[in-house]
Amino acid sequence: MAISTLWLSDFRCFADAEFRPDPEGLTVLRGPNGAGKTSILEAVGWLATQRSIRGAARDVLVRSGTDRAVVRAETSVAGRAVLVESEIPVSGPARTQVNRQPVRRRSELADALNVTVFAPNDLDLVQGGPAGRREYLDDVLVARHARLDALVTEVDRILRQRAAVLRQAGGRPDSAIAATLDVWDERLGAAGTELAVERESLAAELTEPAGRAYERLAGVAQPVTLEYRRSWTGDLVAALGSARPDDVRRQVTSVGPHRDDLDLALGPRPTRTHASQGEQRCVALALRLASHELRRGDLAEAPVLLLDDVFSELDATRAAALVELLPPGQVLLTTAVDPPPVVHAGRVVTVEGGRLTGVPDAPGVSGATEVIAAPSGGGGS
Amino acid sequence: MFTGPLQALVDELGRLPGIGPKSAQRIAFHLLKVAPEDAMRLAEAIVDVKERITLCPRCFNVAEGDLCAICSDDRRDGTMLCVVEDPRDIVAVEKTQEFRGRYHVLHGALNPLEGVGPDQLRVKELLGRLDDEAITEIILCTNPNLEGEATAMYLARLLKPLGLSVTRIASGLPVGGDLEYADELTLGRALEGRREVDA
Repeated sequence: MAISTLWLSDFRCFADAEFRPDPEGLTVLRGPNGAGKTSILEAVGWLATQRSIRGAARDVLVRSGTDRAVVRAETSVAGRAVLVESEIPVSGPARTQVNRQPVRRRSELADALNVTVFAPNDLDLVQGGPAGRREYLDDVLVARHARLDALVTEVDRILRQRAAVLRQAGGRPDSAIAATLDVWDERLGAAGTELAVERESLAAELTEPAGRAYERLAGVAQPVTLEYRRSWTGDLVAALGSARPDDVRRQVTSVGPHRDDLDLALGPRPTRTHASQGEQRCVALALRLASHELRRGDLAEAPVLLLDDVFSELDATRAAALVELLPPGQVLLTTAVDPPPVVHAGRVVTVEGGRLTGVPDAPGVSGATEVIAAPSGGGGS
Repeated sequence: MFTGPLQALVDELGRLPGIGPKSAQRIAFHLLKVAPEDAMRLAEAIVDVKERITLCPRCFNVAEGDLCAICSDDRRDGTMLCVVEDPRDIVAVEKTQEFRGRYHVLHGALNPLEGVGPDQLRVKELLGRLDDEAITEIILCTNPNLEGEATAMYLARLLKPLGLSVTRIASGLPVGGDLEYADELTLGRALEGRREVDA
């Protein structure tokens, strides 16, 4: 799966721009801070996931002074050209179409465009709280199967329903409240255990590719281990039962998949407390590359890999190692610093002030990078 | 703002479910234009429904008069009871002509987020019927979503200890449909609930 052409209008700082990345490998977007490099990845991310890779609100995606942004991409899926379009108004719902047909389900979009994103804030995967690590696992699960997508949604909804019952109990449950709690506990027991089992087997599956990616990046063979840690032992319904007096008093659900964590270790040492910042960055990147590799195996077509500002996190050796060991498939990478010398100049596009300018493509590579500068004069901040 | 009565009509129509301000205006102007007897017929239908339709005191289906048509029909099987969320669900089950027992309408499903607990549903009334009527089998016919399943589970836990036969409707594929158009979840459930073929 690859993007042949991306068109932006009134998206972030781009008034009107067209971008043609290399369909079969790396394209580097280079430019100073604030030039709009990440916005291009954000536009691709929006088309694939309908949300901002920076977690930005929708209205800031629209160029100031205009009322809607349009992002459009022609992708190539198994040799077929597919048109994905999204219109993002400042307010009101966004409209997304695949081949001019409205998208009804997320899987329809995933068939047309799939991405794996690494962003600077992914360091939080290692340094931050457990929520980010659970989300990392769930994102892979949700993309894998509609059943898992429904499972993640169901667990979330059961937790909210249970929380509402606990609030109503107000610390003093009568027998009617207890009977209702029994029902939600049973639902959570079934769905929560199923989710934990899925996350556990995913963590086990990720361990090997994550270790491999880390070794390549860091140049040291140190095993990365991902171990899923449940917040309960034994049967979840029983655990919910014994936690109930406390849960009722504190009005929280204290055990369940929403309290689990993914323990990361480098060799024998936990990464969060015992790894250097550089090692932590490598582990975070290795996690993304590992999930990318799994999804490449799941899907007939490799997802597009989006690497935001990745060189600033790595020293020269590691940066060069990353470029040399990128998985096959399309990769879009942004950088404010010079890319390592192994990157061919023909693969570098310069982004400045909402405009794209590029060096013509590498000799002998047909259909490689070609960039057309934004024709409209209104571009940019 | 329109002149007095017209604005009042637009406001009232706008309160109806699924009708936005634009539709409310369009309907109001349509009513303004039609023959007086057509508009009066609509007004009478609304008054009628409010005056003559009540909830059946036994099953809480909509009823005209005292008991609903199904509760007052002696030919129905009094030993089987189908529990549904909404009176409209009765219409759907009746269309199948597969069920000859009686109904009980809960008027909702367990949904703590919306403030709906067992006390907001007609659960006590359901238990009361078990004493008064010769019910032996209960079919839980709530919706196949999280809240409907939770309600079914709640009722099953309440009813099973009373020695009744309690069943839950199956989920599966639409009859006459194509497998290729079924969504993954429904098809997955249908595979889960597969049956031995008689041969």
